[in-house]
Amino acid sequence: MKFSIGMLCAIAVVFTAVPAAAEYADVVLNRRAEKEGMRPVVFPHWFHRIRFQCRVCHAELGFKMRVGSNDVTMNDIADGKFCGACHNGDIAWSPDRCDLCHSGKPGLPTGIVGGHETSGPGRW
Amino acid sequence: MKLHSLITLSLAVSVLVTPALAQKSGKDVYGKTCAVCHATGIAGAPKYGNAGDWSPRIAGGTGRLYGSALKGTPKGMPAKGGNPSYSDAEVKAAVDYMLAAVKTAAKPTATPPQNPVAKEEPKPEPKVATSTPKVDKAEPTPTAAAAMAEAVPVGDVNAFNRLLKPLGKRNPPPPEDGIHDPANDGTHALLPPLTAYAGLPKSLAGNRVNWVEAIGTKKINPRWDRTDPKAEPVVMDLNIVREVKGSMPDVVYPHKQHTEWLDCSNCHPAIFVPQKGANAISMAAILLGEKCGVCHGKVAFPVSECRLCHSKKKDLARPAQAAASVAK
Ligand code: HEC
Ligand code: HEC
Ligand code: HEC
Ligand code: HEC
Ligand code: HEC
Ligand code: HEC
Ligand code: HEC
Repeated sequence: MKFSIGMLCAIAVVFTAVPAAAEYADVVLNRRAEKEGMRPVVFPHWFHRIRFQCRVCHAELGFKMRVGSNDVTMNDIADGKFCGACHNGDIAWSPDRCDLCHSGKPGLPTGIVGGHETSGPGRW
Repeated sequence: MKLHSLITLSLAVSVLVTPALAQKSGKDVYGKTCAVCHATGIAGAPKYGNAGDWSPRIAGGTGRLYGSALKGTPKGMPAKGGNPSYSDAEVKAAVDYMLAAVKTAAKPTATPPQNPVAKEEPKPEPKVATSTPKVDKAEPTPTAAAAMAEAVPVGDVNAFNRLLKPLGKRNPPPPEDGIHDPANDGTHALLPPLTAYAGLPKSLAGNRVNWVEAIGTKKINPRWDRTDPKAEPVVMDLNIVREVKGSMPDVVYPHKQHTEWLDCSNCHPAIFVPQKGANAISMAAILLGEKCGVCHGKVAFPVSECRLCHSKKKDLARPAQAAASVAK
């Protein structure tokens, strides 16, 4: 029965994984990072919203409010765009601290984590 | 809260499973997408595990159901549940998964078929978690048990709260949260959320921080401008009341709490036309991540907190009105 085979796979995977108790609104960014040999990036909303209003990133810096829709490269960051608008050694630590951003578990797909409840691509 | 924990649970499971499987299992797809409507029967969707809802539909044949799931129906079932990135096989697997639940529900199981949360839970038998092969048990049990084994210590079946996540398990520090790699040095340099939240007002969902109160009482002072710590936002105090058909209290949409964080351009005109009543908003759209659901349920407080939005008791004598008072 197809159903039980699916279930068995799921069991195997669940057993090897750790609890996904990630903080609400953490974002995993992994469009390119892992393909280029780096760990996925974890962006913590909670940490940044204590310091900045949403508008700074989502209006001033132009991050689109849809996970995966911003094509960020390290070149942009070094040029002071996206994360690099702040992580420039002036407002926040500079991009040479690779391991602080590239801290995700290998294999994580791009997406918002932490028990979000709306699904589907963030469309309007 | 039940809806909340169900969805959180199913998502927790699916987030774990996703990376390792090229094709998502029916349970994954269900948990990630279909459950938002089918777990509780939103907008008239046939409820998961409810044989009464499903039997007339099953009568038309499984092929027809696959068709409806893939192409959608005029009565509110979106094509592929609104997520075109699923393959046909994944959507069909989700249909199979939902149908299997009605079949197992027809058998005598100790749980009420109406309640998908209870269905997914491990039966109070510690043995299940070790996956002892059992004949004629509902198949979902072992997987759910596996997931739950992490949340609830095995053997603690009679603990006062079996499913409510204990305080110590919420907001875990980065090395233990399941997405950060503990083998990475930087992970251990990151700030644990609870350390940051210590002085902040609490809430019951999301980050479990009441962000509105935190900013209102100046417990936090997030910058409005990237570089200038003194720049102040233009806060607009304009409430829009949206009448809700049925028994739910009306929705009051407050501009004030939003313009404390957001720019007008974050919502207008891409998400909402700035005109009272000009936007068709429904819970189904919100649950699919549109309209209010662009932020709520992802970054702003989650959809489980019905009362925060549905905050105006029905006033039958007067028609609802926008209490417009524009301050500074
Ligand atoms: C420091 C910058 C920053 C701040 C401040 C910030 N965000 Fe984000 N936000 C991001 C980034 C980065 C992403 C991911 C974009 C991507 O994947 O391309 C994101 C994604 C999102 C998404 C998309 C989620 C999805 O599932 O598609 C939403 C909604 C969102 N943010 C809302 C907010 C809200 C509301 C606030 C204020 C409470 C906020 N953000 C504050 C940087 C920020
Ligand atoms: C401020 C956070 C941040 C820091 C610090 C950082 N990165 Fe990145 N990096 C990103 C983001 C965001 C992406 C885009 C992730 C994606 O979508 O895959 C990225 C992508 C990459 C990529 C793949 C894309 C490309 O441009 O080639 C590589 C390789 C990479 N980073 C290497 C590094 C190295 C090496 C360092 C340290 C010198 C570093 N990063 C530091 C945030 C950061
Ligand atoms: C936005 C809410 C929503 C989501 C998400 C959703 N459904 Fe539905 N679904 C409905 C509604 C409403 C109906 C009843 C529509 C009708 O009677 O035509 C329905 C009906 C169905 C039916 C029965 C159709 C019939 O012809 O009798 C199937 C099968 C189904 N959904 C499968 C799925 C699957 C599989 C997913 C996930 C990939 C999913 N649904 C996601 C709302 C949803
Ligand atoms: C609007 C400015 C701004 C932007 C844009 C921004 N950050 Fe940050 N970020 C900060 C500040 C300020 C800090 C705190 C620096 C410190 O502690 O010295 C920080 C800290 C961090 C931390 C460490 C959190 C901790 O636990 O200490 C991470 C990780 C991080 N940022 C990732 C990112 C990534 C990834 C992006 C891009 C997707 C990004 N940031 C974009 C301002 C920003
Ligand atoms: C979080 C999203 C959001 C933000 C940010 C926001 N609005 Fe709105 N606005 C709405 C919604 C929702 C409505 C109601 C639309 C409806 O009823 O269909 C609305 C309605 C309006 C209306 C119509 C009122 C009426 O009585 O017809 C005006 C004018 C307006 N907004 C102006 C603004 C201005 C100016 C700002 C920035 C200071 C702003 N909005 C920021 C979501 C937002
Ligand atoms: C662009 C993102 C965004 C959109 C769209 C949005 N909100 Fe919000 N909303 C927020 C943020 C950020 C907060 C601050 C509280 C938080 O983060 O939990 C908030 C707070 C609120 C509050 C205040 C709760 C309180 O405790 O006072 C209400 C009510 C609310 N939203 C209702 C709505 C409704 C109804 C809609 C749709 C018409 C909507 N929101 C659309 C981002 C958004
Ligand atoms: C982010 C704000 C928000 C939250 C949280 C929220 N709602 Fe709604 N709800 C709305 C809006 C906006 C509408 C549309 C009102 C209208 O018709 O203009 C709505 C409409 C409804 C309707 C009418 C039918 C429909 O789909 O339009 C029902 C029933 C409903 N909500 C139930 C709930 C329940 C139950 C919860 C908690 C699980 C909840 N809502 C949480 C904003 C919210």
